[in-house]
Amino acid sequence: MERKIRVLTAKLGFDMHNRGMSVVNRALRDGGTEVVYIGNQFPEGIAETALQEDVDVIGISSLNSASSLELMERVMGIIKKKHLEDKLVIFGGIVLPDDVPKLKEMGVNEYFPPGSNVDSIVSYIKENVPQ
Amino acid sequence: MEKSNIAKGKERKEVFTTSSGIPIKRIYTPEDVADLDYNRDLGPSGEDPYTRGIYPTMYRGKLWTIRQFGGLNAAEATNDRYKLMYQMGVTGFAIAIDDASLIGFDPDSPEAEGEVGVGGVSVFSLKDMEDMFDGLPIDKISTAVIQAINTTCPHTAMYLALAENRGIDLRDVDGTTEGDPCSFGGCSDLKANPAPVRQLMRLCGDLVEWCAINAPKWHPVSFTSYNYREAGVNAYQEIGGLVASAVDLIEEVLSRDRGLTVDDFVPHYTFHLASHNDFFEEIAKMRAARRMWCKIMTERYDAKDPRTKMLRFHVQTSGSTLTYQQPINNAIRVAYQSLAAALGGVQSLHACSYDEALCIPTEEAVTLSIRTQQILQNESNVTNTIDPLAGSYYVESLTNEVEKRAMDFFHQIEDHGGWTKALELGWLRQQTEKEAIKYEEEIRTGKRRIVGVNCFQMEEDPSKITYFRPDPEIYKKQKARAEKLKEERDNDKVEETLNELRDADDSGENVMPAMMKAVKAYATLEEMTDVTVRRHFASGTKSIFSHLSRMIE
Repeated sequence: MERKIRVLTAKLGFDMHNRGMSVVNRALRDGGTEVVYIGNQFPEGIAETALQEDVDVIGISSLNSASSLELMERVMGIIKKKHLEDKLVIFGGIVLPDDVPKLKEMGVNEYFPPGSNVDSIVSYIKENVPQ
Repeated sequence: MEKSNIAKGKERKEVFTTSSGIPIKRIYTPEDVADLDYNRDLGPSGEDPYTRGIYPTMYRGKLWTIRQFGGLNAAEATNDRYKLMYQMGVTGFAIAIDDASLIGFDPDSPEAEGEVGVGGVSVFSLKDMEDMFDGLPIDKISTAVIQAINTTCPHTAMYLALAENRGIDLRDVDGTTEGDPCSFGGCSDLKANPAPVRQLMRLCGDLVEWCAINAPKWHPVSFTSYNYREAGVNAYQEIGGLVASAVDLIEEVLSRDRGLTVDDFVPHYTFHLASHNDFFEEIAKMRAARRMWCKIMTERYDAKDPRTKMLRFHVQTSGSTLTYQQPINNAIRVAYQSLAAALGGVQSLHACSYDEALCIPTEEAVTLSIRTQQILQNESNVTNTIDPLAGSYYVESLTNEVEKRAMDFFHQIEDHGGWTKALELGWLRQQTEKEAIKYEEEIRTGKRRIVGVNCFQMEEDPSKITYFRPDPEIYKKQKARAEKLKEERDNDKVEETLNELRDADDSGENVMPAMMKAVKAYATLEEMTDVTVRRHFASGTKSIFSHLSRMIE
């Protein structure tokens, strides 16, 4: 049997707005992926778990535009240090429109703003997950 | 197409429902309210069962308080913002505290890196509170100290200590503490983010008990159904949960058997509801909530003091209805939601800002929110008479239906052992997620239409807004401030007061007297929450996060 795509999902830092995360977790499961949800975690915890769990995709959510870029920089720094660049990294939540290019520059593969159709997240993962 | 519908008597949809899924008829008639008994079900405002409002004169006597939730960067920047708001006519403030402080970490703590100034103002000692309210007449304003559950007691103690240091009698200090431990579990996944729920309930109970005796104008708890409404539950679940959570804290205080009756402390309870998109359902919800609360306080607790039976509430327009797309449209959503709150008989109101789906509001955005409320209060004349929608076949019928469904939800929670137990069991979280997923599914399928999101989208939004960005140096500055404070204060005194706090916490005594002393000695938030909260985590670790909570399906 074909191995399911494994997706690690986490809330970034202290952001407690988890409505979007619950909805996305459900859509990912319904879409046939295996979800490892670790709740709120610091950047280090997210990267460490991605390594331990051997996931294909890292999905991170935060609704705080004030901290999302800075904390994502820490996540991406660790991902590079640990040579996890083969993982697909997606970010959902709030980044100011002007900052979206910065998020992509640091190596985040895709950004899904609030209001994104959850199906588009699942199909993006299926189309772009490293083989 | 619609023209031919009219000719054929056809309707646009097979079923029309409220936002919560209550089916709505084409037209309402006297038959729908045939059982309505005016004196029993409505009555005049200011009288049992308070359906029409809690005061006899309502807005003819006093307009609702414009209470804007705000906080940014450090104390000084927030002080500037508050002064500006005060000049614009705001007399109620609600402190938006940053994430690091909400969780209970000082800025010089490694956990706080990247979280200082996020979502609000950094407040970690009495010093911050002093600077934040410098030059503001705290005897003339009312302040809501909005904190997360971990910091309920210390943040409140900081504000009250500030008042005492200014020579104001605590008996005259007006304001609210919002740290409702009950609202947390509905929003948060306790499996992923465990919390010592029982200890948090105890701390909240301590504050209720202490304020009843020492600060009788202070509202020590504001039951915040807003939080779980935003997390997912619908309108009738929101008020069913609201009542269940308030009942649970009544039981907590009564179980101590220290001589207080409901009439000693429940008059100080306040409530914080959401105002969401479905205009009439929200109004019906607010009316139903008042009636339901009065019934339960009368029937179950035999309350005598009318204030025990009055559901007084703050409303915040619903942040989760604001869209990232075409943000200017949010100003219109906020205006309708504010109008619903006014017609629902609110006591104080926060009107969200159009940019809140993106960032902390800018000065322009906050100004528009304040003016939105002032236009409503001064130009629309909706304040001329009380509960103007009473007697509407539709509104009365919907009020009954919302109350009936809310009561069912309340009983379901009771069947799970009450709010705290239902929260610990994960049942509340399940209900919240179920509704959030259903809502999203309706948006995905187009059953629920959101302008700019799943209909009337635009590639390029013609209106550009400016964004608020926090001070990039905030973490460094606040870290230095924390280090300086810890050098300059009398550390022996801090240690002595923290020991006293620990003893009170261990013995089961009320922690507030010791907390007030610790705050006045400039003990920090982290030092105090280490004692009252973090020691109580089952794991015994300092981390707020569980090591790993795997939920693989």
